[in-house]
Amino acid sequence: MNGLLALSRAIDFANERIGRLVYWCVLVMVLVSAGNATSRYALNMASNAWLELQWYLFAGVFLLCSGYTLLHNEHIRIDVVSSQLSRRAQVWIDVFGIVFFLLPMSLFIMWLSWPVFMNAWTSGEISGSAGGLIRWPARLLVPAGFFLLSAQGFSELIKRIAYLRGLIPDPVERHKDPGLDVVLEVEREGRK
Amino acid sequence: MSAFLIANIAPIMFLGLIVFLLLGFPVSFALAALGLSFGLLGIQLGLLNEALFQALPERIFGIMSNDTLLAVPFFTFMGLILERSGMAEDLLDTIGQLFGPIRGGLAYAVVFVGALLAATTGVVAASVISMGLISLPIMLRYGYDRRLATGVIAASGTLAQIIPPSLVLIVLADQLGRSVGDMYAGAILPGLVLTGFYAIYVLGKTIVHPDAAPALPPEARPLRGWKLAGRVVFVLIPPLALIFLVLGTIFLGVATPTEGGAMGATGALVLALINRRLTWSLLRQAMNSTAKLTTFVVFILVGATVFSLTFRGVNGDLWIEHLLTSLPGGKIGFLIVVNLLTFFLAFFLDFFELAFIIVPLLAPVADKLGIDLIWFGVLLGVNMQTSFMHPPFGYALFYLRSVAPSREYVDKILRRPVQGITTGQIYWGAVPFVVIQVIMVAIVIGFPGLVTGNLEKANFDPSKVKIELPQEAPAEQIEESAPPDFSAPKK
Repeated sequence: MNGLLALSRAIDFANERIGRLVYWCVLVMVLVSAGNATSRYALNMASNAWLELQWYLFAGVFLLCSGYTLLHNEHIRIDVVSSQLSRRAQVWIDVFGIVFFLLPMSLFIMWLSWPVFMNAWTSGEISGSAGGLIRWPARLLVPAGFFLLSAQGFSELIKRIAYLRGLIPDPVERHKDPGLDVVLEVEREGRK
Repeated sequence: MSAFLIANIAPIMFLGLIVFLLLGFPVSFALAALGLSFGLLGIQLGLLNEALFQALPERIFGIMSNDTLLAVPFFTFMGLILERSGMAEDLLDTIGQLFGPIRGGLAYAVVFVGALLAATTGVVAASVISMGLISLPIMLRYGYDRRLATGVIAASGTLAQIIPPSLVLIVLADQLGRSVGDMYAGAILPGLVLTGFYAIYVLGKTIVHPDAAPALPPEARPLRGWKLAGRVVFVLIPPLALIFLVLGTIFLGVATPTEGGAMGATGALVLALINRRLTWSLLRQAMNSTAKLTTFVVFILVGATVFSLTFRGVNGDLWIEHLLTSLPGGKIGFLIVVNLLTFFLAFFLDFFELAFIIVPLLAPVADKLGIDLIWFGVLLGVNMQTSFMHPPFGYALFYLRSVAPSREYVDKILRRPVQGITTGQIYWGAVPFVVIQVIMVAIVIGFPGLVTGNLEKANFDPSKVKIELPQEAPAEQIEESAPPDFSAPKK
């Protein structure tokens, strides 16, 4: 179990780093898109490569941050029923969900999307629009994103089982973000 | 056994959806897993083609390159940055002083600022939290009725859902296959009418119970006369400028909603910079929250896409269509059932789930019945707004709970203890506003002109954009960047 927990820590670390790196794409995306809009109307110029870059970045954010979002337990749940259950029961639901929903689903999509990437890679597929971007990086994002998600799912599974066996404290509590709201409140208090 | 399965696979799948969602595991994964397992089952039973899932990578690719959804991170980011640049604070403070001398003044200020914030950000959390932090303590200090105070804050915060540039309207437009610009144009009047209803409710309350919302004493209003007038003009400039930058350009047909969002987000950054409130920590927090929100929203769509691939494969859409078209009363019967369904589902689901799972099933039926989809979307939008206010699971109520004092505290100005807000007060406070919401749904059904009347005037015309473009950008690419053409594949 110790070896597995070390693996889980490594995965958490990797996804945390990747998430923190990738979220800068949000800012880049905003600036690129605002630049595109400005150049389109002010200078009457538009470039397909820049327009496509917008959604490459968008796809990069949601695919590569999927593991990061799972690490921080922010994929949306309907907890109407489960919030009434004990913490251990909730963790059991997570174990069940990871084993039967998350891992099969994300591994399956990874397996489906890999040949699509390979195909784009070998054929040198390019966007249908003139001056558009080469396609393989976008095609690669899908298997890469679902790989990160599977890895994080595996790490969460290890942590849930370790928690159920009493080896570690509640893993969800540890990675809970203070969140914007709390930071906001603290800052307000400080300003007064 | 397998004969029974083959005959009833769509209803079984739908039942499975409800069970799996209520389990409390993340919605997106449960949806996708359900779609895949029933897909494999369908292939085993010979109901589905073995190549069914080969279409999946292309579907995901369609979501990635969806230009409309790109607006989601833009508006989220813009809302978060604006919130932190102190705009809401300045607005509430000043408008509160303006309305302060009249009875219920602070409540009107909250409604008015809620609508203004809604028109600039479209993020419920930001509105409710800032109004809860700033105006709730003042309302409590001067003896406002607790239910009125909490209800008006929660409800005004949810205006961000229906007044453009709302995220709900973007997602609905995408799912209904209509342009976001049209959706915005259709929603604006109902949004304003709703704002008016909130204000009327406050007025009614102050007439029936004058003690519920007393006027502010003079010492609570340091600004007066010309000084106040100047301040009002000054604080109104940034939000109005942004509203013009975002909504104005979209309505004039100059910008697509995605571009409007990007311009607005940049504008918000510039504003924060001017106010000297743009710090690295603020920027990182905003990017972090935006990235996570975008991820979970798009993943629900990915899950829903996998689900619907199978559900449509086993003719589940036809089953739903048959159920809904065989209702007595035709169009009206359909609308009543759909609205009741949405209202009750809104107790459990939030609007992203409703929009991605339920709306794609309803839209084709509505279309077949000859219902205008923009009007239908706005109707659902007003209805879904209740999902934020429904006790006990409404998000706006959660946000308000997180910033409202729960224990007795000593007020800094009055120097005497003020009782905390109980959760029950927050819940009961929301009830009248949920009722107003239901009335509004009835009005939108009764007077479709409220929505459709605006459509001709403010039509966003993609063909106009095409002409303005130079040769180096070929037409097919430009078409792709116009809102209606790039929506997620639905068949």
